[in-house]
Amino acid sequence: MKSPSDRVDEAGVDRAVEREFPMGAAETADGMDRRTFVQLLGTSLALSGLAGCPRAPPEKILPYTRQPPDLTPGNPLHYATAFATGAYATGVLATSWEGRPTKIEGNPLHPSSRGAAGLFEQASILQLYDPQRARLVKYKGVARAWKSFLAETRQRLDYLLEANRAAGLRFLLDPSGSPTVEDLRRRIAAAFPNARFHAYEALDRDNAYQGARLAFGRPLETLNEFENADVILSLDADFLQCVGPHLRHSRQFAARRAPGPAMNRLYAVESMLSVTGTMADHRLRLRSSEIQSFALELLSELVGKHRLGALAAIASALGQPLDAGPRAAWVRAVAADLARHPGRSSLVVGPRQPALVHAIGHAINSALGNFEQTVRFTRPVPLEAEAGSAALAALAAEIRDGRVDTLVITSRNPAYTAPANLEFPSLLSSIPNVIYHGWYEDETWARSAWTIPAAHPLETWSDARAHDGTISIAQPLIAPLFNGIPELELLASFVGEVDKNAYQILRESWQKKTPAADFEQRWERWLADGLVPGTAFSPERPSVRWDALNAAIRGAGKQDDAAPPGQRPLEVNFVGDYKVYDGRFANNAWLQELPDPITKLAWDNAALLSPATAQRLGLGQGEVVTLELRGRRVDAPVFMVPGHADDAVTLPLGYGRSGMEGVARGMGFNAYLLRHASAPWFDSGLTITSRGKHHPLAVTHDHWSMEGRPLALQSTLAEFQKNPGALDELRGPTETFHRPVDYDQAPHRWAMAIDLSRCTGCSACVVACQSENNIPVVGREQVRRSREMHWLRIDRYFSGPIEEPSVITQPVACVHCELAPCEYVCPVNATVHSDEGLNEMVYNRCVGTRYCSNNCPYKVRRFNYLHYTQDKPAPEKLMMNPDVTVRARGVMEKCTYCVQRIERVRIQSRIENRPIRDGELQTACQQACPAEAITFGSLHDQSSRVSRLHRDPRRYDLLHDLGTRPRTAYLVRIKNPNPELA
Amino acid sequence: MEPVGQPDALDPAPLLVGVKDDQTVTQIIFRPVWERTRRGWWILFLIGLGGVGLLITAISVTLARGIGAWGNNIPVGWAFGIVNFVWWIGIGHAGTLISAILLLFQQKWRTSINRFAEAMTLFAVMCAGMFPVLHLGRPWFAYWLVPYPNLMRIWPQFRSALTWDVAAVSTYFTVSLLFWYVGLVPDLASLRDASKSRLQRIVYGIFALGWRGSGRQWHHYRIAYLLLGGLATPLVVSVHTIVSFDFAEGLIPGWHSTIFPPYFVAGAVFSGFALVLTLMIPARRFMGLEQVITLKHIDNMNKVLLATSMMVGYGYLIEQFMGWYSGNIYEMYSVLNRMFGPYALIFWLLILCNVLAPQLMWSRRMRTNLAVTFGVSLLVNVGMWCERFVIVVVSLHRDFLPSSWAMYRPTWVDLSLFTGTLAFFGTLFLLFLRFLPAVSASEVKELRQELSEHAEEKAA
Repeated sequence: MKSPSDRVDEAGVDRAVEREFPMGAAETADGMDRRTFVQLLGTSLALSGLAGCPRAPPEKILPYTRQPPDLTPGNPLHYATAFATGAYATGVLATSWEGRPTKIEGNPLHPSSRGAAGLFEQASILQLYDPQRARLVKYKGVARAWKSFLAETRQRLDYLLEANRAAGLRFLLDPSGSPTVEDLRRRIAAAFPNARFHAYEALDRDNAYQGARLAFGRPLETLNEFENADVILSLDADFLQCVGPHLRHSRQFAARRAPGPAMNRLYAVESMLSVTGTMADHRLRLRSSEIQSFALELLSELVGKHRLGALAAIASALGQPLDAGPRAAWVRAVAADLARHPGRSSLVVGPRQPALVHAIGHAINSALGNFEQTVRFTRPVPLEAEAGSAALAALAAEIRDGRVDTLVITSRNPAYTAPANLEFPSLLSSIPNVIYHGWYEDETWARSAWTIPAAHPLETWSDARAHDGTISIAQPLIAPLFNGIPELELLASFVGEVDKNAYQILRESWQKKTPAADFEQRWERWLADGLVPGTAFSPERPSVRWDALNAAIRGAGKQDDAAPPGQRPLEVNFVGDYKVYDGRFANNAWLQELPDPITKLAWDNAALLSPATAQRLGLGQGEVVTLELRGRRVDAPVFMVPGHADDAVTLPLGYGRSGMEGVARGMGFNAYLLRHASAPWFDSGLTITSRGKHHPLAVTHDHWSMEGRPLALQSTLAEFQKNPGALDELRGPTETFHRPVDYDQAPHRWAMAIDLSRCTGCSACVVACQSENNIPVVGREQVRRSREMHWLRIDRYFSGPIEEPSVITQPVACVHCELAPCEYVCPVNATVHSDEGLNEMVYNRCVGTRYCSNNCPYKVRRFNYLHYTQDKPAPEKLMMNPDVTVRARGVMEKCTYCVQRIERVRIQSRIENRPIRDGELQTACQQACPAEAITFGSLHDQSSRVSRLHRDPRRYDLLHDLGTRPRTAYLVRIKNPNPELA
Repeated sequence: MEPVGQPDALDPAPLLVGVKDDQTVTQIIFRPVWERTRRGWWILFLIGLGGVGLLITAISVTLARGIGAWGNNIPVGWAFGIVNFVWWIGIGHAGTLISAILLLFQQKWRTSINRFAEAMTLFAVMCAGMFPVLHLGRPWFAYWLVPYPNLMRIWPQFRSALTWDVAAVSTYFTVSLLFWYVGLVPDLASLRDASKSRLQRIVYGIFALGWRGSGRQWHHYRIAYLLLGGLATPLVVSVHTIVSFDFAEGLIPGWHSTIFPPYFVAGAVFSGFALVLTLMIPARRFMGLEQVITLKHIDNMNKVLLATSMMVGYGYLIEQFMGWYSGNIYEMYSVLNRMFGPYALIFWLLILCNVLAPQLMWSRRMRTNLAVTFGVSLLVNVGMWCERFVIVVVSLHRDFLPSSWAMYRPTWVDLSLFTGTLAFFGTLFLLFLRFLPAVSASEVKELRQELSEHAEEKAA
């Protein structure tokens, strides 16, 4: 059969579709007869639906909850699948329109997600369609067939087996808890007895597992249950944004932020201001290297003053009394607070801290009786507990000794992410046969012999474990767009299973483990639910080995630099980036353009330091400096962050790419070039010299201060309870010249409430909005010119002293004023009010005067200054949400309260002849929010959640005195400070 | 040079100098039209054409790429485009004021300068008119702002000042054009009659509309001219009032102010007079019009300049006062931001140019000093442009929520559009000076008659 693509290329499809209306006689006269025309029309229409789906998967894919009897065109389907960043998988639901995945949302049944979705999960949809992904199997840069890879590799493996039972075969894998990968590895190990497996990721959790080894004698996974914790102390742990199952953490943490007796209290000790730090009731900024001494001080305070029985066992190791001063007061207060809440407190240690700090954390948690209450343990999720620099260094040593002949890499771009001192790129080049399974033609790709394009998680079958061990079966929604090969198929080829596809491999692996009788039934249930029930790891009940810990503490001693602040050598910190993680998301334009939750920097990273340190070094914002550490140099722009520890510099990893990724290339600087395998997280002795240049950074929110305006409000629990009427002047009726609309006749009064107590500023909602509403990416230059298009932004203000600021974040989208200032200034009626109170934007009618934006006091309107959607690469067009208009140049746009979702739910309710239920309708931002900070619904329904929040004593209106009567209300952030530290 | 009317003690500077008879008037005023094109004119004209080329390039880029070619952003949705629009419209005010209001008030000194000022008005409004269309995101739909019956069954939104802007500016242009043209008719007929070539005779003849200078024609002409004057007078006030509504209607601190209409009208007259002076001083010199545009005119115009400067200055004062008096933190910040914010230099430049420099005009010596007048008029032009920049850009760049604050920087397209319109204006003006009498010959003759009759009466 002749393929339709023989006839029409992809652009031709578009042309043919366009011709549907102006099918003039001239065309027919030009030689196209009616028959050809209709054929072309038919093919193109079919293609426009199927262009993303060149070969239909023969496997059965099951829809999530609503099982349609058949696919209804125009109605999307949702499939449960999973997405892993690092070893932990998060369950997600992917929306599919006639075979095109368009959006990723959280899976409410999954323990790590609970319906929320983070930045990476949501933005990964963009990488599915990224036209810059690797497309071809290549050998030394020349395209080859997958079959010839299989044949040649087989030959080589046979040779290796014969020579020394494959002693030269090494695998460098992405850390994973996948049972099927585990299975395959076992079989590979059996087939190649001398082959070895290594795991590496740049943002490893080695320290955590080492800490457990130190405290308990074996590596364990630590699970925090923050809903049970009254007092939380975070030691460099950004548990609300980056570390572990942060979506779950955020939800649990937020659940305890409602003002009242059940409110929790968070203390944070950290170097760089983190998302978790902004939520802290008390924050102590210390350099990363000082946190160990802090932990020891806390320990000795708990031992000395609070006489915690269990800790007495290590009392002998601690000889240091607390000094006077603010830090000591801090330690005393925290220790007392922790001691007051035995079994109800939690000490969390971040993966950047050394093993000893983790061990001390375990000891304190154990002594406070927090085990089984706020802290639980299981066996580690990844197959290797060591997957960091040390593991990679061991492999590097073997390569250097020439003991590696064939290296199979599925780890994410190790040539780029490896610590610089290992000189991994050149080591790779020295290996005779490197097989790299990667997403992009990146740094590792350039140094590998065989390069194999990887399939996106939405293109392939696999399985993965969540933080607690729960297994999800990840199912594909689309056949590989760019000939990607699934990891399972690559690994299976080593045990000779070259004919099986990932689906068969996966199913067989599961069939072996499951009783045959009801396998089919169960399998379908697992796919529909997105998880395999009962696969969470059984809890471990370790006990602290006090004597080992005793010895370790004795060996550690006091590490603080005695020099006063301002004279200490500069400490350098390496952190995973909030947006590009370890660099794997660097080619994701959504994430690149997302303003960093703290710095509000888009498209670049920078050397972050405190204003005082910048002043001491004589550096200004955006000044380009040379950073030198252990003889290695890199140039970076400087960016001041209030609340950063003094004499320390933080370098976010993941930028400065030199691979073939067009989006990532040229953005930021590569901090890995300074990273040393022996000190992967922080190091001392950084020198900074100014280059005398200035780099224009793309900052979306430049002004730190609220200028004393009542915008993003926060108060303390005591203060709020003392004076609950303080907010009255920021809410309630206002005078107006306009004639207010009578909304009583309309069936709904849509409204939103945003609880600042819950909002961490994580920005998941921003990406959710971008994905739902087809919001274009505009690029670095346009962001520099303040033309970013995000409908929803997260404002971030600092108040108080610049060194110890109080930070607050506030999501701001269109607040849908009942008396909207934008409406009366539009000369062409392009922005009007609906009877249900939505402030609507009529793109067709907009001529682009921008008057509405000028007159919008919230500045939430976005203007298409250029034709931002014009150059969208062909595959990305498939990703558009068909329910939302793609806007052209010259029109204004803004938040619609997800009107397309309102209408879908309205249609459904009419079909079922019932009113719209509260909670049935979620805006995209609300749905993604892990902290449940955003609520949407109708104010007519007195019992709806949003009505209750609008009546909440914490409710206030943004810019209330302007009389705009916004439908989005804010709830004041309430903090719960310790009176002893007031 | 003998003055026609002896200067008396109270009116020392004469309106006409050395104009003995109508023949002299014709000679003085029509000479530039009949003489050979001078080298200087060609040089200026070519420079102007170059600038027009730049303008066309910038317009093409704007239309092809979109407003993104400009420096505008969010929050600064309006910038150079609107600044230039308001500036040009303001300049366009002097023409109508001189023509219409001074006509109604029977100010004799208007006769020598009204033609000049009206032409300037027309060209300025043409320059101004470009910007509201160009600044649209989708300029090809600009006609949607006009209320016309349409199949979409949507009217413009009449609460928006922009809708009224369209009406105000287009009315103003039409009336100004008519007024200018009606005033030209007798002179066009003179040109026709004195034409040396057939082509000239035909062209001037067509535009002269068959004017014969009969008593009946003069009678109708007078009535028409007076009626147009009456019609144009409210426009002087209305156009800039409505333009000021573009801002006053908004709720942005720095815009939301009831003083804007009078303050804008005063500013418009101020800038218009300044530009008339800027153009007139060199023109009267190079075109030999010193006998009909005398120091008396310059003196009078400087007085208007001083008066309007004081009005504008009062406006500035009240803006700052209201910022403080409102007790509103946003208004107060806006005031302080103007004075001490990132664009403070422009604010202080505006105070220097618009308030301080015109104070020189208290002295008669300064008022009749051409160099000083020329310098001050240039400064006022700069100052008025700065004023509009301060109102439009500086108000927008920092409004209510500090999170959205941002700086505005113009691009080469912005700068080219502005300089391009200057060149376009200049080119049109050069063409006007070349092909039409810059001073109304018929009216000057009439004035001469009046003055000599007056002198004779006195002598008798």
